Amino acid sequence: MKKLSKLTKRILIGASLAFGVGLIALLAWIWHLDGIVTKQFEGRRWTLPAQVYAEPLELYVGQTFGADTLELELRRLGYGRVDNPTHPGSYRRRGTRIDLVSRKFQFWDSLQESQQLTITTGSSAIASMSDAQNAEVPVFRLDPLLIGSIFPLHGEDRVVVAPDEVPALLPAALKVVEDRKFDTHHGVDLVAILRAIVANARAGQIEQGGSTLTQQLVKSYFLDNRRTIGRKIEEALMAMLLEIHFEKPDLMNAYINEIYLGQDGARAVHGFGLASQFYFGKPLAELQLHEVALLVAMVRGPSYYDPRRHADRARARRDRILKLMAEFGIVEARAATVAAAKPLGTVMSGSSSGSYYPAFLDLVRRTLQRDYREEDLTEAGLKIFSTLNPLVQNRAETALTQELDRLEKARKKPAPQKLEGVVVVTAPQNGEVIAMVGGRQAGFAGFNRALDSRRSIGSLVKPVVYLAAVQSGKFNAASIVDDAPMEVKLANGQLWKPKNYTEDFAGPVPLVRALAQSLNLATVNLGLAVGLPEVTKEFKALGLKEEPPQLPSVLLGAVDVAPIDVAQLYNAFANGGFNTPLRAVRSVLDGDGKPLKSFALEVTPVADSAAVYQVNQMMVQVMERGTGRGTRALLPSGLVVAGKSGTSSDYRDSWFAGFSGTHLGVVWIGYDNNTPTGLTGSSGSLQVWARLMSALGTTSWNAAQPETLQPVTVEFGTGLVARPDCGQEVLTIVVPQGTELPQKPGCELDGPGRSWWDRLIH
Amino acid sequence: MSVKRLSVVAVLLGHLVLGACAVPQPYRVPSPTTVPPTSPSGGSPTTTTPAPTPESIPEPTPLPAPVVKEPTLSSASRALVAQAQSQAAAKNFPVAAASIERALRIEPDNPLLWIELGKVRQEEGNYVQAENMARKALSMSINAPRTQSTAWKLIADSYRARGKNVEAQDAQRRSEGLSR
Repeated sequence: MKKLSKLTKRILIGASLAFGVGLIALLAWIWHLDGIVTKQFEGRRWTLPAQVYAEPLELYVGQTFGADTLELELRRLGYGRVDNPTHPGSYRRRGTRIDLVSRKFQFWDSLQESQQLTITTGSSAIASMSDAQNAEVPVFRLDPLLIGSIFPLHGEDRVVVAPDEVPALLPAALKVVEDRKFDTHHGVDLVAILRAIVANARAGQIEQGGSTLTQQLVKSYFLDNRRTIGRKIEEALMAMLLEIHFEKPDLMNAYINEIYLGQDGARAVHGFGLASQFYFGKPLAELQLHEVALLVAMVRGPSYYDPRRHADRARARRDRILKLMAEFGIVEARAATVAAAKPLGTVMSGSSSGSYYPAFLDLVRRTLQRDYREEDLTEAGLKIFSTLNPLVQNRAETALTQELDRLEKARKKPAPQKLEGVVVVTAPQNGEVIAMVGGRQAGFAGFNRALDSRRSIGSLVKPVVYLAAVQSGKFNAASIVDDAPMEVKLANGQLWKPKNYTEDFAGPVPLVRALAQSLNLATVNLGLAVGLPEVTKEFKALGLKEEPPQLPSVLLGAVDVAPIDVAQLYNAFANGGFNTPLRAVRSVLDGDGKPLKSFALEVTPVADSAAVYQVNQMMVQVMERGTGRGTRALLPSGLVVAGKSGTSSDYRDSWFAGFSGTHLGVVWIGYDNNTPTGLTGSSGSLQVWARLMSALGTTSWNAAQPETLQPVTVEFGTGLVARPDCGQEVLTIVVPQGTELPQKPGCELDGPGRSWWDRLIH
Repeated sequence: MSVKRLSVVAVLLGHLVLGACAVPQPYRVPSPTTVPPTSPSGGSPTTTTPAPTPESIPEPTPLPAPVVKEPTLSSASRALVAQAQSQAAAKNFPVAAASIERALRIEPDNPLLWIELGKVRQEEGNYVQAENMARKALSMSINAPRTQSTAWKLIADSYRARGKNVEAQDAQRRSEGLSR
């Protein structure tokens, strides 16, 4: 007995020692896990990527929206058409009348409460606008489209929602489908685990998960994807610890914001808030039964049940979930049947709200990097109000890809690589970048050609040379320059022999023709007559970051410039000689909705506005009878636009920059490795530009003519003053008052006797 | 008028002297003397909404007689400017400027809005931008002496605030000359 007890004692001591050590280790582990759970979960629960919004849509009487366009815009914002609009984000249409209930939205400058609005439209514009009390509303700003976020490198993106932004159906559905004992268990549900084991053994595959919502939350929030027994225990312990520290509603809300629901390139879609935007293009609060059910369906396997790629699979599971919801009394059976009859309702990725604009967002990020640390952008929940116009952006993407496809199909032999392209669109008067396409695959984040691809701009420099000439006071549009072969001795002793595009030369020509036909030799002569320093200075004055070297080759465009900087340069022309720093961001709100910063509109006069007006008129002639005339047919008749094409040596770069009254567009086409494309500015980029301009429904360039200038009619070929009914190819140019111009014999404006002019005004 | 008549005489003389000479006299682009404002009953045109409509290509017309055409604000712009003015009165200048920028997106070519934005900048103490906004307004207020006068007044204020009294006086004179 004693002997035995001695042995037993030893075993007991050993066992209890082992047990004690194990217990201490276990307690230490739990204590460690508890630290993680409380510390990480209680503080800032998520890093919130900054959310970037498009420019909001302004509604006002006269806005050029017919009822169809307005409805389209509302749908783009995820507004749902209903019979009786009472909820934010819904509208009703009866013919030309639209009643809507707007969403509450915190703008940078004010909080816009949800409001009822009645809009009647004429054939092409809003005719009247009134509120619920039938009072006139002069102007109204709709909540802007969320176009993306600035998420960190590991790619987790989310839109966090508060409990009051979650439709009640969602937690109810989640419980029924994922965790029926959620309200009562302490983190783990042993019965569910056993049931799952049985069900899975029967089905021979993983049919049911036994994890509670809390366990799923722990797994997503704290742990990696490894499936080991150790992990499972850790998961269960942490789930129980979470349940001790936090209330059920908190855990449910955390789950709703945490869970992974899909992938969009490099960004991982987390939480139902972002998923709602990503799949349906509207806030979570506005989801209907069939949409809620679809998102719940996706929890189990976001890529397996991806509604865009596996619609049938996703639909089958959605309908199963609807049935389950009816079974458990969350919804009425009839409602579930109605919902099951509805299509999936997802928006197209890339064409609507779910789309993603990496090139533009890159510009936004770089703008803000001057003022904020990377962590502020990716974690602090900033709201960024950008200048992007999604409609213009989509049209720019379409114009570029269609034209590049067409150009490549027209090729006789296939090229070894794909043509690339860039489009930048600005609103000239306020310098806002309203669209930016950084490459052929606009949705592909990578090398941002619009910002980083510095390429030779060729004849795009010419308007700057002509502006320097006109500003010198020695030249006007009718002044004659010689387009003739020449040799320029360079500083290094070499001889430079520029050539024309056609290898031909035109002889003495007026400036307006030299620019319209992009004559190289005439331009070099002009530039040298004005003086290289005057010309290179002009680039800097207009807004180019660096002054180009004072070399004669600069006169023909041997300057490497990124498309965004070309846009800045041409914006000064389109803006009548005023520089306005290009902006992609209007303002920033912090995570609590307090205004942080605004990028205010600034203008600076940088060139004589009369000189700019004269050069702009010459650029109109580029489009009317010069290198741009080929696209006249693509543009709406009567639309006045100004622009200039550019081709770098050996056809490596095809450029076009031009503007209407309300849009400036810069287009570049070329190969990434800088090999020749065989395209000129006119045969490549101009086509994209013209397609875009005609798709935008833009307005004519009709800047006010400075009072010091007067129009006069001259011959395009000779620059001689001539009556419109006399002479060859007579066009109107503008010159300073008092300018003396030679006249064409026989076609004089002020011929003998009463002058033509006098006859007209008296 | 007499200048023009003189030039006509000169041209006539030239033709008499040169007779059937092959090279015609150069054409001198006229500089019309300022036409006194002949606004009908001095009233501003009725406010119409400036829904952007495509303009046709300007026909080559000879010297249109200057017609006074003062700009007006659309009802949307009027509402936003009123809002901006009360925001500026509360010294909330960035927000006031944001309101006017909204109006400028609707009517970018309306000089009155650029003047309003300039006034906000002036009150805020950003005198250089106040002047620049006024110059931008001037560049688009052609044949609108009253608007030009307001813009010059803002330029004068901006100079004065910066202690540039000579320039301020000059701008003030221009403003008063135009408002008469």
